[in-house]
Amino acid sequence: MSAATAFFSRTWVRWAVVGVIAVVLIVLPLIFDAPTNSTLARIGVFAVAVLGLNVVMGYTGQVSLGQIFFLGLGAYVTAYGVNEGWNIVLVFILAILLPAVVGLLVALAAARLGGLAIAMVTIALPIVGVPLAKRLSEFTGGSQGTSARFSSAPEWTGLYDDQWQLYVVIAIPAAVFVLTRNLVRGKFGRAFAIVKENEAVASSMGISPYRYKVLAFTIASAIGGVAGFLYMVVIQYTSPETLAFHHSITLLASMVIGGAASILGSLIGGAYYVLVPQLTNIIDPNLTAVLQGAILLLVLFILPGGIVSLPRLWRRSRGGRGLGSPVAAGAQTTGIATIEGTRASHAGDYASPVGSAPAVPPVTGPESGPTDKSPSPESPEKRQDT
Amino acid sequence: MTTLLELVDVTAFYGSVQVLEGVSLSVPDGGAVGILGANGAGKTTTLRAISGTVRAGGTIRFDGKDIRGMRPDQVAALGIAHVPEGRGTLGSLSVRDNLRVGAYLRKDRKNIQADIDRLLELFPNLKERYSSNASALSGGEQQMLAVGRAVMAKPRLLLLDEASLGLAPSTAKNVYEAIGRLRSESGISMLVVEQNANLAFTLVDSATVLETGRNVLTGTSAELKGMDEIRRAYLGG
Amino acid sequence: MGTFIQLVIDGLSTGSIYAALALAIVLVNQATGLINFAQGGMAVLSAYVAYQFLQWGLPLILAIIASVIVSFFLGAVIERFLMRRFERGDPDTAIVVTVGLLTLITGVCAWIWSYNNLLFPSLFPLDSIPILGASVSVRSIGTTLVILAIMVLLQVLFVGTKLGLALRAVAINPQSASYSGLPVGRLLMVGWGLAAILGAVAGALVAPSLTLTPGMMDGALVYALAAVILGGLSSPVGVVVAAWMIGVLENLAAVYVPFIGHDLKIAVPFVLIFVVLIVRPQGLFGRKVVVRV
Repeated sequence: MSAATAFFSRTWVRWAVVGVIAVVLIVLPLIFDAPTNSTLARIGVFAVAVLGLNVVMGYTGQVSLGQIFFLGLGAYVTAYGVNEGWNIVLVFILAILLPAVVGLLVALAAARLGGLAIAMVTIALPIVGVPLAKRLSEFTGGSQGTSARFSSAPEWTGLYDDQWQLYVVIAIPAAVFVLTRNLVRGKFGRAFAIVKENEAVASSMGISPYRYKVLAFTIASAIGGVAGFLYMVVIQYTSPETLAFHHSITLLASMVIGGAASILGSLIGGAYYVLVPQLTNIIDPNLTAVLQGAILLLVLFILPGGIVSLPRLWRRSRGGRGLGSPVAAGAQTTGIATIEGTRASHAGDYASPVGSAPAVPPVTGPESGPTDKSPSPESPEKRQDT
Repeated sequence: MTTLLELVDVTAFYGSVQVLEGVSLSVPDGGAVGILGANGAGKTTTLRAISGTVRAGGTIRFDGKDIRGMRPDQVAALGIAHVPEGRGTLGSLSVRDNLRVGAYLRKDRKNIQADIDRLLELFPNLKERYSSNASALSGGEQQMLAVGRAVMAKPRLLLLDEASLGLAPSTAKNVYEAIGRLRSESGISMLVVEQNANLAFTLVDSATVLETGRNVLTGTSAELKGMDEIRRAYLGG
Repeated sequence: MGTFIQLVIDGLSTGSIYAALALAIVLVNQATGLINFAQGGMAVLSAYVAYQFLQWGLPLILAIIASVIVSFFLGAVIERFLMRRFERGDPDTAIVVTVGLLTLITGVCAWIWSYNNLLFPSLFPLDSIPILGASVSVRSIGTTLVILAIMVLLQVLFVGTKLGLALRAVAINPQSASYSGLPVGRLLMVGWGLAAILGAVAGALVAPSLTLTPGMMDGALVYALAAVILGGLSSPVGVVVAAWMIGVLENLAAVYVPFIGHDLKIAVPFVLIFVVLIVRPQGLFGRKVVVRV
């Protein structure tokens, strides 16, 4: 362990860091101007959305293309509730509950299918969601969308609206982040990880992949609902466009680029979601989609752990030897199973890019010469160098 | 007698774990050589190094040509047929289609059916199951199918990996007898990996014993059978 | 009755488009073990390529053929240089890669040809012929027949030719296949190329009615995936039948079930899925997937 790591693992140091961050967060909104606060707030909104996606995709390994739907649902519920004059706390609870229930139902059906069904089914959510939102106009305001203003700063705080909104978007996501962090570091998180790694192993350990996938998906949907509520706080308007399919893809890309299975990565993902499209639009609006696709592919090839894995990578390249023996030996056992040609779906997933493994080239180096595929002339590890 | 296959100081890694630390052996043209040893000694890896399935270091020469680093399909094209551990039968294809796959590289299409027929004479169980899916065959039948598929390519060298794996002793014996008949009929050279040394000695003229990735003993079948260590370790006393 | 027949035949036509895409997805999955979410996007790119050949003066049929050829190579190149390293890995990661590919392709199409709706000429005349009292569009019949023909051709390829045998062998056990000398890498490229051809034909056939835009096949992709779920990844026949069913049912539902109407008919396949899957998780035709550890 390097000196830096040792230093940071001391308890008092950790609390000090938390304290510093807390102070910074409290002071921040008062320093920056309105547009910056607004941007930061939006980053917060989508960081939460990405976090939700991470729960089901990064940590549990199920690709979901429907996260934006739950955000939209949460936003619509919020808008409706506020416009009907309901108590704001009730609205908040509903904004979490309704998406969670829908997510539960979807997962109950989709997870039964196993394999890649969750991916294939969730793609329908935004695509069905948009016409549904247009159709149910009494609730949603149809194509026009609906707005709800309820996030003006209360009198007693003496703050400007954007500052108040930012505080809300710092406080609530902070709570969500902390809760989620505890979730993934605890018993559930370990179960998720095992399910992600190898479902057969999970069930042999008494961990039902089905149940945990459903759980993960429901939690993800609930968190999506929170993001929807926050969305209304900041943007104060929602329409069918909020849950359009291409947003779904951008959300997924943000998660991967920020760093899958990482709390900090979700934050980075949120920043990516908000900032990068603005940037690419400045460069050339027509190139936006091209750049986004290219960046996603680049990250998948070069940095599968996402931006958040950069420090790890740097540390490895300085001192590490790459995949150490225990991992390789372990991979060897599963590798042999796969050499026999079985296409086990999640067996021995040691270097899954949609996960926490850093992009470290194996010690044996990249494949030489042979350009053809045939079970590549390297170790029977199922993984390619990622 | 010319040397068909020669391995000199071959090494191999799985990731960063070294599995072969320097294996040497040679197979004479027309000969049958065994690779014996306990589990994990590196026997299968040796065959994989030859067929190009794992990257290896050292020298691997087939018919005088350096084949180290070639892809498996390139190695197959040179005339080496690898029957892998676990057989590698193409389960959802019929016996007939499995054999046709074996003949993939051949240009003499007219003779393929004749060869199939001759093979079925050699392995009568396969004849009965000709149109069934390979996955419906018993273990012994699948083994014979796997060997049959390898032989359809008219290879010069057959790499046989643990042909007795998972088979009842009598079935394994039948399989080896069938392979023996094959050998006498076609004169094909063989490199046979086998944990059951008794069975191996019914087929091979000589053998090398591997332990933790290197050779520890080499000799003719007669010599090895006579050695106390071999008898105790591999022949049951 | 007339309306009913019209709806059924139109449904078969759109269902054929979904079927072609679904078959492409199954083909790629059997060969390389992943689900290609960019299959629809690739089909759109093929349609744009055909459009470009048209702009350069080629007659429609030649433009389509040229696009099919280009698409074959495109599919092969994508497999070799983009997907190859993800094929033996985690399927969910591979999906994300295909999503990235989809974004990239959509972006490229938008960049070169813009987001505007472009007119693409129809291979078939816009007439209708009377069948059993209904006025059925020639285009619908033509589309269905063309795609049916392609599927039959593919089936013949797979079952009756040496190449087809090789493709099947590689899909089952690539390493074992390589031991018999099969050039696995090249065969995988062919597999992706064939899938791309299916997409190219589907794209060219549907572009006239949908008008050509980068997101043209996004909806069709969803239907195709629904067909794949219903039919089962291991059953090409199953997904084709499922796709036809989806095409016909959504048309019927759009007209006969007022709540659904034309904008919500995309929900129909998923209602179907929920219903079927509660009873038979492996799909209507698929075999239960056994994961060997």
